This record gives sequence, structure tokens and C-alpha cells, in this order.
Amino acid sequence: MLSRVAERLYWMTRYMERAENTARLINAVTLMTLDMPGEATFGWHALLKVVGMDQSFFEHHPEANEAAVMQFLIQDERNPSSIMTCIAHARENTRTFREVLPWESWEWVNELYLYAKKELPGELDRRQRFEVLQGIIRRRQSIVGLLSGTMSRDGAFQFLRLGRNIERADMTSRILDVSYASTLPAYTPAGAQYDDLLWMNILKALSAYQMYRRYVSVHASSTQVIGFLLHDRRFPRTIAHCLAEVADVCQAMPQANGVLNSVRSTQTILDSADSTQLATSGLHEFIDQIQIGLTSIDAALRERYFSFQEICIPTSCVEGADSAE
Amino acid sequence: MSIACEDYKVGSAFDELIAPDGQPRPLARGLCDYISGLGENELLDRVAAVDAAIMTSGITFTVYTEAGNIDRAWPFDVVPRIIDAREWERVDRGLKQRLRALNLFISDIYNEQRIVKDGVFPLEVLQDSKNFRLQCQGIMPRFGVWAHICGTDLVRHSDGEFYVLEDNLRVPSGVSYMLENRELMKRLFPEVFGRYRIQPVDNYTAQLYDTLAALSPRPGERPVIAVLTPGIFNSAYFEHSYLAQQMGAELVEGADLVVLEDDCVYMKAIDGLQRVDVIYRRIDDDFLDPETFRPDSCLGVPGLMRAWKKGNVGMANAPGSGVADDKVVYAFVPKMIKYYLGEEAILPNVESYLCMYPKERDYVLANLDKLVVKPANESGGYGMLIGPQSSAEEREQFATLIKANPRNYMAQPTLSLSTAPTLCDEGLAPRHLDLRPFVLQSDRLYATAGGLTRVALRKGSLVVNSSQGGGSKDTWIVEGSQ
Repeated sequence: MLSRVAERLYWMTRYMERAENTARLINAVTLMTLDMPGEATFGWHALLKVVGMDQSFFEHHPEANEAAVMQFLIQDERNPSSIMTCIAHARENTRTFREVLPWESWEWVNELYLYAKKELPGELDRRQRFEVLQGIIRRRQSIVGLLSGTMSRDGAFQFLRLGRNIERADMTSRILDVSYASTLPAYTPAGAQYDDLLWMNILKALSAYQMYRRYVSVHASSTQVIGFLLHDRRFPRTIAHCLAEVADVCQAMPQANGVLNSVRSTQTILDSADSTQLATSGLHEFIDQIQIGLTSIDAALRERYFSFQEICIPTSCVEGADSAE
Repeated sequence: MSIACEDYKVGSAFDELIAPDGQPRPLARGLCDYISGLGENELLDRVAAVDAAIMTSGITFTVYTEAGNIDRAWPFDVVPRIIDAREWERVDRGLKQRLRALNLFISDIYNEQRIVKDGVFPLEVLQDSKNFRLQCQGIMPRFGVWAHICGTDLVRHSDGEFYVLEDNLRVPSGVSYMLENRELMKRLFPEVFGRYRIQPVDNYTAQLYDTLAALSPRPGERPVIAVLTPGIFNSAYFEHSYLAQQMGAELVEGADLVVLEDDCVYMKAIDGLQRVDVIYRRIDDDFLDPETFRPDSCLGVPGLMRAWKKGNVGMANAPGSGVADDKVVYAFVPKMIKYYLGEEAILPNVESYLCMYPKERDYVLANLDKLVVKPANESGGYGMLIGPQSSAEEREQFATLIKANPRNYMAQPTLSLSTAPTLCDEGLAPRHLDLRPFVLQSDRLYATAGGLTRVALRKGSLVVNSSQGGGSKDTWIVEGSQ
């Protein structure tokens, strides 16, 4: 497979995944605000931090209120990570490698784009917002299903897996991070019934609540939630799971040693984490290390597969031949 | 609006579906009944569904405008064009005959030039030909075939005969729309397919694959075939990606390829460089190889010509094929057929006047208001004068152009292009058509069953190019009646 195509596949899924994760996050937050006591104010600023867009938001807006933040995260084309921008990028990327995907893929991606383009502009009230974002999630999921059900497990598929898992690990780490720094719904709980609420909402923002309840506990305590989101191997959005997926892909890829090293050292950092201790202190610093690890994996991928700098002599290019980097 | 055949007003041109007496032609009867049976509302619903499907499939083409490039949905008319298979059988033979002769001509021109020596083809045409490539002299590609993919434009005149309007031998486009049109029709009007025996078109991509695979320098292995595109901003990008997808080939841009010192072509793949056997290039000669042609081209691949000349990579169409894609050379094709094949042309040319000959030039200059004047080397309908629709000023301008460079101009009588019922705001109305079948040659010869029917959507217009307001129709080659 062409290096250029590999890179575009990787970014196409990262954009798709980001759009979906942002949609899930916003929907979770919308439900969360309904649970809040009347006097509480929601930390819209914190939400911007989760997606790493607080700086660029304040370049365009003086104040983080619900309408402005939602517009920025969902529709604003000046926001390179807004749902609309991500979907548009994913579509443009898909146009350039239709030949490596199953036949209907392009049509479904295009349909998602047309849906977003039709539904997203204009002011959405909470109910419409929920519906439209659900529509986006559902369409994105049907694309995932289509690819999973009809695409050969070839090189192209592996780059899709890489993009998806790196983007997911990134989102999970961000949500955990902000929960520590500013507590996602930034309000003071009024009583015991709210004890679990913060951590429950973090699980919900990652669509992890149901599986957590099933396999861990009905109560959402900080230690348990942190432990789950870092280390659980079965839930597909935990950092441990995502890294394991990335490692699995790399093991089957040609000359992936550099990338594998980055993955393994990130896994080592993860394994060293003690969630009981992190629940009281050091979560932010720890998440920083994980983020640095993810960035190094991304850089290793770029160096090894996307930027084609070395011109090797033909004999060393025989498939499977092991050439030094 | 009316969709009833009885309300359809046949014009003076030959109509593909409706006879001059207003009755459907025998093969069109079933279709007309079907459309009337649907009723207006149902038909419009289906049309809306077609438009939605086109949007979803992203069947688009790019229009270059001053305000930037616009990606437009492909305009598709739901009323198909029907051609009798018995009539098509002759056209099919004519198309193949023509491409064989053209390839013999290109081989000859770049080698012995017997046709010039024998006085059948004038040397001066060659000397002024924009697409004659000195770099190709002395080369003989495999099978002696240069133009592997040819789009031949046909028109049906008021006498009911098909004429060849031009041969597109460089990078003819449109075949993906032919294939998509059929898919759309099958999806949205499945019932009508039960009433007819329509020859399928979807074997084209397999035929194209085989045609290209035959050019591989490493026969026996599954060849690595790449479609070379200028990139996403090209107007035919949709088609490049479509064909690559359909053939299971790689879609590459110039920067993805490299020619090494062994004069072989490689793609930059994730597991290193991978040799490319055949390139289906959709880039003009000029941009193909900055070492050989335009040095400022960043679309091509340095060294590609070297690799091709050494026979290390197959290339379709071969560089230099465009020499026969010249509207002056076109006028000589019937003579070529006679000269190389000893046969009479099965498909006639449109009568042509070459401005390089003083007598014919004088005729052209005296009759500018009646003729269509074409520059020798433009495509896409650009730079033409359509006499009957022109202003005195435009004619003046063309007279100056012709006198300045007579070799570069030829003229033809204004043909009456045939029409077919087309769904317009006022209902079914006649619109002018042409037809572009695609012909393939390598170790085999193949012509599409039908081709891409292009339709001038504006009333009275004769310009069918999609860049200038043209649309398209599905084309049915139908066997027997009903």
C-alpha cells in the first residue's frame, strides 16, 4: 500500500473517531446538566479543555456559555476539531482512497457528510442537538460495521485500526485529565446523592457506564473508575485496550520496531500506575506521561510509514525483506 | 408538464425514440408505455430519488470557474436512449476497425512513415502537429498499439446514420459515468429492465484490466497496475478513483512514483518500494515526465519515459498517441483505413474542410456562418465557432485566426444532432445528443455496448460537454423487440 494512502487512512479514522467521540461527549454532558441542582453552573470551560480547544475558542469568543461552546464544538469551521470539520476532512480523505475500501464505504461516508451538512447549521436546541448527534453517531457506527463486515484484514484495515485506537486513547486520557484538573461538571455537590455523580458522568462521556456497572460496580468511585479506564482490557475505550490494539497491529506490520518500542514504553508507564494512589494525587502528571507516549507513537508511525524519505535499492524492497531503517 | 408521448413534439432532427409521425419507434414502445404508466408524480418521485442517489454516491465532476473550482453533481436524465442491437453490431465493427487503423498509423508515423512516402498523408500536417512527439520516434510498443483506450464521439445525422465526429486518443474520460448511469437506472427503474433485453455494460472494467495487464513487462505474474491521476483537483478525479477501485488497481499521484537507476518504476509503499508494471495514465503527455517534456511539471514522474522506452513499464495510452487525436489528422482516417487495412471505412467521417488547403480554406472563409470551425488540438468543446449561432464579430475573429494559422483549423457543416425525449421543466422535450463509445485494444479488441450518451440540456443547444451544461443518459443496446 502507498505511504500516502496509509497516512490518509490513518487520519480519516482519527477524524471520524474524533467526530464521534465529541458527539458522545456532548450528548453525555447535555444529559448531565439535566441532573444538576438548579443553583449549580456547568463548567463549559472544562468541556473545551477536554477537547483541547479552550485556547482557540477564546480567540473567537469572550465567554464560554452553552450556546457558544456548543456551536464551536459542533459546527464551527474555524475549529479544526469541530464535528463538522472532522467529518468534512474524513470525507475529503476518503475521496482519495476509495479504491482500497469496500465499494459502499465512500457512499456511506458521503451520506454522513451530507447529513451533517444538512442538520448541523443553524441553532439547535437541546432536544434537536441530541437527536442530530445521535444520528451522526449511528451513521459513523454503520460505517465501522460496514468496514468490519466487508473489508479484508489488509494493510489498509490495519491503518484504520491504528487511527481509531490512538484517537480513542487520546480522548480517554483527556477526559480523565480534565476530571482531575477542574472536575467535569464544576459544581459543588449538595448532598450524598451526588457523590458518585462526577465519576458516573465521566463514564457516561466515554459511553462506558453500562459496561462498568456490569463488570466493576454499581458505584462509581474514583479509584475504581480510574482503574477501569486505565487498565480494563475488555472495554474498547480504555487506554490499556487501545494500546493493546495498537501493539497487535504493529506486530504484524513490516519493520515496525520503532513504533513497537514507543507502544511498549507507553504500556510500561501504564502498567506502573496505581489507581488508588492516583485517585488522591498525581493523576494530572500521570496523564501527561501517557499523552507524551501517544504523541511518540504517532511520531514513530509518521517517520516509519508516512514520510517516505529513504530510497532503498530495489533488492531490499522485496516484500518481507528485512531492511534496516 | 406532460410526460405523454402524444404531447411530444419531434423537431426536424432525427429522434432516437419517437418517429416523425409522433409514434414511438418499435423498440421504444415498451419504454413509452412504462413512463406513461408511472404517471407524472411517480416519475418525479423517481427523479428526486435519482438526484439523491447521485448526491450520496458523490458522482461529481469539477467545473473550473473564475470563482474557483466547483464540484458539481452529475446531471443525469432518466429517459434512456435505445439503440437496436442489429444496428449496433455494425457500429461495433466500425469502431474496432477505426482504432486498428489509427494504431497502425501511429506506429507508422513514429517509424517508417510509409503513409507519407506513399503520398497518402501530407508531411506538413505532421510537422505542425502539437501532439507529435519527437521523443517517440523509433519506438514500437507491445502489439504495435499506442492508443489502448479510445473514446470515439459519434453523432447521428438527420439521415439516420452515425458519423464519427472525433477520436479521443489522449486521455478520454466519461466511461465511469456510463457505468454509473446504468447502476442508477437499475436501482431506480428496475421494472423496465424486465421488459427489455439490454446488453450489459459493466464488464468494461474487467476488459480494461485485461487490456492493461497484457502490457505488463513481467507476464505470468499478477501485474501491479496503477492509475496515475493529476490529483483531487482534476475534473475527472472521480473517474480516476472509480476505475482504480473497480479494477482493484492502485490510484497514484506523480509524487507516489519514482524511477530508479535500473529504469524501473516503483511506488512508495509502506513496506518499501514496490515495482509498478503498468500505468494507466490520466495525465497529458506534457506533464508526464519533467525530464522529457515540460520541466516545470510537478504532476509527473521524472524518468518515466526512460522506463517506458526500455519496456520496463507498460503505459496506456502510450506517450505520443495524441498525434492522431488531431482534428486535421481526423480527416484522413478513412484513407488510413483503406491504406492499412485495405477496407472501406464502416463508419463515415463528417465531411471536413481543411484550412491548410487554399481551396478548402476559401470555402470555409466564405461560409463561416454555416460551418462549425474547430481548432486542431482542443478538447472539451473549447475554442470552437458554431457558425449559425455566431455573431459577425466572432466570425471576423475566426477569419483572422484561420488566416494566421490555417493548419490549425478545420471546418465541418453544422450537423443536425439527433434528439431524444428528455425530462425538462415543461415535460418531455427533444434535446440534442451525441454518443461516446469506448474502444479498447492491446492483445484484444473490445468496444462498449453503447457508451456514454451526452445530452445538451439547454433547448436547441448542440454543446453536450459536461463543462458547458451537458448531461447524460443511460444508453441501451437492445436485442429484438420486447
